[in-house]
This record gives sequence, structure tokens and C-alpha cells, in this order.
Amino acid sequence: MTDKVNGEKNKSRLTKISFLLALFLIWEFVPVWTNSAKIIPPFHKVMVAFWTNLWHGDLLQHVAYSLQLIFTGILIGMILAFVLTALCIVSKRFNDIMDVVISIMHPLPGIALLPVVMLIVGLGAKSIIIIIVHSILWPLIVNALAGFNSIPKIQIELGKNLGMKGVKLIWLVMIPNAFPYILSGIKISWARSWRALVSAEMVFGASGMVGGLGWYIYKTRFFMDVSGMFAGLISVIIIGMLVDEFVLKSIEKNTVKKWGMSV
Amino acid sequence: MSSLQVNNISKSYQLDNKELNVLNDISISLDSGDFLTILGPSGCGKSTLIRCICGMETPDSGEILIDGKPIDGIGPERLMVFQDFNQLFPWKTVEENIVFPLKLNNVSNNKVELNEIAEEFMDIVNLKQFRNAYPNQLSGGMRQRVAIARSLALNPKVLLMDEPFGALDAQTRAILQKELYQLWEKFKTTIIFITHNVQEAIILGSKIIVLGLMPATVKFETTNTIPYPRMPETKEFMSLWKELYGHLETKRF
Amino acid sequence: MKKLLTSLLMVILVLSLFSCSSKDPDKVVIAQQFGLGYAPLTLVKELNLIEKYYPNAKIEWAQLGSGGSIREAMAAGQVDVGSMGVPPFLIAWAKGYDYKIMTALCEMPLGLQTNRPEVKSLKDISPQMKIATPSPGSIQHILLSMASEKELGDATALDRNVIAMAHPDAANALINKIEIAAHFTSPPYIFMELESEGIHQVVDAEKDAFGEAFTFLVTAGTGKFKTRNPELFEAVNTALREAIAIMENDPGSVSDIVAPTLNLDRETYLRYCNWPGVKFETEPRGMLKFLDFMNRAGYVSKTTSEQRDLMW
Repeated sequence: MTDKVNGEKNKSRLTKISFLLALFLIWEFVPVWTNSAKIIPPFHKVMVAFWTNLWHGDLLQHVAYSLQLIFTGILIGMILAFVLTALCIVSKRFNDIMDVVISIMHPLPGIALLPVVMLIVGLGAKSIIIIIVHSILWPLIVNALAGFNSIPKIQIELGKNLGMKGVKLIWLVMIPNAFPYILSGIKISWARSWRALVSAEMVFGASGMVGGLGWYIYKTRFFMDVSGMFAGLISVIIIGMLVDEFVLKSIEKNTVKKWGMSV
Repeated sequence: MSSLQVNNISKSYQLDNKELNVLNDISISLDSGDFLTILGPSGCGKSTLIRCICGMETPDSGEILIDGKPIDGIGPERLMVFQDFNQLFPWKTVEENIVFPLKLNNVSNNKVELNEIAEEFMDIVNLKQFRNAYPNQLSGGMRQRVAIARSLALNPKVLLMDEPFGALDAQTRAILQKELYQLWEKFKTTIIFITHNVQEAIILGSKIIVLGLMPATVKFETTNTIPYPRMPETKEFMSLWKELYGHLETKRF
Repeated sequence: MKKLLTSLLMVILVLSLFSCSSKDPDKVVIAQQFGLGYAPLTLVKELNLIEKYYPNAKIEWAQLGSGGSIREAMAAGQVDVGSMGVPPFLIAWAKGYDYKIMTALCEMPLGLQTNRPEVKSLKDISPQMKIATPSPGSIQHILLSMASEKELGDATALDRNVIAMAHPDAANALINKIEIAAHFTSPPYIFMELESEGIHQVVDAEKDAFGEAFTFLVTAGTGKFKTRNPELFEAVNTALREAIAIMENDPGSVSDIVAPTLNLDRETYLRYCNWPGVKFETEPRGMLKFLDFMNRAGYVSKTTSEQRDLMW
């Protein structure tokens, strides 16, 4: 049975890889055939631009700056989400208020808030971090609350029966039970924060100083450095994929998937 | 191992502005080491009764005493084994599910000692080779075994079982009944076991109570002296079965 | 495998639907823009000047968001004729894009204004002060680089202070003294800023950055368009030149047409048209100097010593 599973896994991996290879081939040759290499540079040119900009240009600096902003944003977002969710669980009244706040804020795209945020805190890293925090806070809270509301009654009774209450019960029984939802909130947040960051930087232009990947893409666009632009895009994609594949998926595999606790 | 006294407890619920009397003046007296099976039709309130004893719910009147002392809320001295298979922590292995409550209740802080206890109880329920498995990898019967092992390892004063085998197939159920009986022989824990299966009540119980329907009252009470193994084909089994069945009200609505 | 192939075929079919477009030789797509400098384009449209020289012309006026997107649309072959600042034109020209200048449009007074009284020259700009320009590589950005080369000895000295902001937002921010310390801009925003309290000019583009008069906007046409229909190409060029002459010689005669598109009343419109440094012209000035500077500063990597190479 495991052989069959492994076989299917390998097949699936093979399909994915051959699809990517085919995509790269098309990317390499179609621009040349259609005489549009200036608009879409062939794949190898983009990769060369990516490589040289990474090591000899300032791409790495922009990547580092973006990552720094995003991790600050995610950290703040998670702490806030933790506190607010905890308050929601403790106080029914607070939960009611939060319901209203979430229904106002959740559908609001971060970019739409940008002009307001800019008026209040001005241009710069602070505004971008606020946009990141905004774009992850609500999905984190919504998911965590959904997780807490879906904890089977029996698990809580069991916890109490085994002698837990208060913080112990929350920490040792409720949070692990809500974890699948919390994790899916984190997964959504990662994608949303990354998008928020890049688009905020593109709307802003740079926040002064170095600027992140969004600013890099924006800048290369105005200098018509198409290969550089694609190099910036590829960095966004690669970082997104690496974190998703190696951090988030592996957390998922070693926790909820292993425990059979899917959302 | 303790004695249990349930004195005249009653409980009602509010349902659509109507008062629903669930338990009416129920009294039970158990000696230390008794195995009580409570029989009752579905929806008669037997779950409410056992939840009151566990401390998950509070009766409107009456008292519940353990070794002469009134119970104080919910706690590990009266452990419940549920019917639901989802009564293990999914993120813990079989072994961790047994060790965790021991640690939590300061049974021991010595890792070696904790492992020894877990070892012993996994052995008793024949799950040693599954020690590192997660609950989702186990069958329903195995999970109920883990739940029983976990509870016994904590050495509760009373073990409460709310139809723990109710969702198992007949074969597994028969095996677990046998195992549970052997465990009781070995540890002499005071057990209250709820079921709506007359045969199960006879096979397991040293005392049997039949509850009536809505509100639940003790309709019949007997001591079961049939020697082991209790085979349904025997005459005494049959006559007890008939007697209990006669007291068991079937659905009225 | 069969299923996979069928689904791939479907994808290709759908994609190829998008690229099916054959071009009518009598059709020309011109990017429309608003602003005093683009007034000749408005005239060409409203006075039907192209039809005067090419009666069968089918003209499509494309509305695009920004100068950057006009250039991209021209590169993608969706727009045939579009106007832009000189440096953005040169950046794409140096990248080998198939387009050249048809005619210049105008000269305008450009400059860097600040809301900080202590800033008397570029030397007084501290690292925390932010300078708004519309985008990197814009004429405002390049002129700022030229000024910093002259005054500070390094063209990129202020690049870390530069942020991108649309003209109206930046003018607002400057006048209300929020966030930005300075704004490199063009009309009408430069007029608004200079007429506001507490704002003074630090760099006059002609005097302190470029050193002489220079063309601000040019109109470029793609090679594809020129080959597809040389007669129509000429008609567009002639129409543009006629409109430019009207704007230069008698802007008052077309105030009813142009002023509303700029959201100005007739008086303000005329005041702006007669502002010192505002000039509509067909012959570009200062192209090679821009190119030479941008090449030296590393903004482009191709140069020429012949203005011919930049023009049709």
C-alpha cells in the first residue's frame, strides 16, 4: 500500500516538474518566435538578470528589506491577534464588539486603507507595517475564533475531568484543538501579508532609504528594465514558495496532517 | 476504591418554557468495588445522572457523597469514559495520552516511573505495539481501550462509563466487555456503567439498576450473582434478562 | 495523459483567442493625456485636425493611467502615438524600442520647491527629508540628479531621499507640510506651489539643473505605425504641428476647448499659457544633453551624438 502511495506521490511530483519545465521552454522560445523579446525577455535572460542583480546589484538589499518589514508585520499581527482572540474568549461583550469590528475591517483591502494610514503616520516603513498587520490580523482572528468555536464539547469536558481549568485548559486543550484553524489562518496570512507588502510598496514608491521588492519592481518598470522587473517578480514568487513549501507545509505535515485534524 | 452515595437527587431542564423533569428523587448506594450497570431506555436521563455524579452537571436537589464526603465539582477522582471515540487528545500518541494526565495530576514527576505506569497499562489493554501511534491511526475499539487505560492509570475513586461500547460493532464490543471485566477483577475499582443493552448490563454488573422513563426514577434494583463467565445461553442469565427486560420501558413517544 | 492533453489544448485555444487582432491600416491609436503641456493633443482631437489631412482616418483615443503605462502600451503595440517626458522617452529608446520622436510638444518651467525655510540649497537637505517626484526615471527625477551633480558633485546623492508620488498628492502634501520636504514638479502644480504661503523654490530646472532651455514633452510614434501607413503617420504629424502652432501663437482662441479639460477658468488658463518659460514648439531642444547625462549617470547604457537618431 505504501508503494502505491509513494508511486502516486512521485507521479504527482513528476507532473508538477514537467509542467514547470514546459513552462520555462515556452517562456524561452515563444518571445523569440513572436518577436516580442523586448516585452517578455526569454527565460534565460530573466534568470541571468535575477542572478546578477541578486549578487552584484541591489536586489538582495531589497529582498532583505522586504523580509524585515514582513516579519515585523507578521510578529506584531500575531501578537495582536493572540491578545484580541484571548479577550474574545474571555469576554462575551468584547466578542460582540469584535464581531462588528471584524465585519467592518475584514473585507477592507489594505491598499484601500493606505491613503488614510499615510495621513496619520506618514510615508515609510511604519505605514507598510500597519498595512501588513491589517491584512493579516482579521483572518488570524476569524480563523482562531472559528477554531475555538469548533472545539468539540467533549474535549473540554475531558480536559476538566482530567483536572485542568483556566489557563491550563486553554493552553493544553483548547489551543491544540483549535490549532488546525489557527494554522490555516497563518497560511492565509502569509499570502496576504506578502501581497500587501508588495502592493503597498508599489503604490507608495519607496519608503525612503532602500525600499523593498515592490519598490524594486516599480523602479525597474520606469527604467524599462524588463529583465530586472521579472527578476523582482521571480524573487517574490520564490520567497513565497519557499516559505509555503518548507515552512508552512512542513508544519502542516508534522502537525494537523499527522494528527488527522483537518479543518 | 471508594463507596458512593447518591441521595435523592432530582434535576429539571427548561425546554421551550416547559419544565422538563429529568431525574426524580434518585438514590443509589454503592460499596467500594461495586460494578453498577444502569439500564434505561434511550433518552431516559441516565446520561444526566452520570454527568451529575461526574460533576459536569449539578442536581437541583439531593446530594452525592464519596466516602461520606460531598463531591466538589468536576475532577479526576471521578473519571468519565465517554461513548465518543474523540475522547483522546489527537495531537498526542497513545503513550502520551496516558502519561499526560499522570503528569498533570502529579502522580509522579519521575520520567522513568511515569513510563513504567504507561507501559503497564498499555500492556493491560494490549496496545503496547501502538504506543507511538496517534489516535487517528487507531480503530474505535482501540481508542476506547486507550481511554479506559488512561482512566485506570489515574486510579480514580469511581470510574464512570457512559455507554463506552455503544458505537462499537458486536464483536469488538464482546471482546472489550471481557477485557473490562478482567480489569475490574484486577483493580476492584468502583465502576458505574451506563448502557441500554440488557445483555451488557448482565455480563458486566455486580449490581444492576433499571431506570424508568421521563422522569428517571429507580424502577428496579438487583444484585447480580451469576458466576463468570456469564453465558447468555444459561437459564439464570435468561431469567434475569427477562426480568430486566420486563422493567425496561420502551419508547412511549 | 489524454485528459491532460485535451485540457492543455483548451488552454492554448482560449489564449490564442486573445491574440487574434488584425490591424486596419487606416486606424491609429493615440494616447490621450491631460495637462497644459498636452493641450495640442486635445486640439488635434477636438478640431479633427488629423481628418483634415487624412479624411479616412479612424482615430482611437486611448485613456491610460500614467506615462509609464503609455510607454508600455506602445511597446506592446497597442498604442501608436503617445507623449511623454524626454528622459522616459530616452530610457525606452536606449533599450532599443522601435519608436522615435515625431515632434516636440512644449517647454515648461520645472523646479524643486520646499516647505522648509532652512533649505536654501540642495546642500541643506538632510537624509530624513523626503523629496517627491512622480516616478523614478521621470524628467523631474533626472533634473534633480543633474542639479545634485552640479551642486553636490554626485548625481545619485539624493536618490535615497526620493520617493514616488503622483503630482496632485505631492503638491497637497507639500502645501500642507505633511511628510515631504520638497517636490520636483511641473505646471500647473509648480504654479500652485509657488503661489502658496511658506513655499519657496530651491532649484529652477533651466537655470540650476539643465543650464539652458530644454524640451519638456515630446510625442513619439512607433516604427510599426510608420511602416503600416506612412501617409496617416504624416497626417498625424502635420496635425500635431498645426495644433502646437495654435497653442504657441494664439492660445486664447481655443480657450473654450482647452481650459475645461484642465479644469481652469479662462483667465487662469491664459495666465498659465503666458507664464515665463511656457512655450509650445516642434523642434526638440536639449535631447542630446539629457542623453549624455543619463548615460554618464548610468540611467541608460546607449548614446548617440546625432539628434537624427532620435527622430523620424
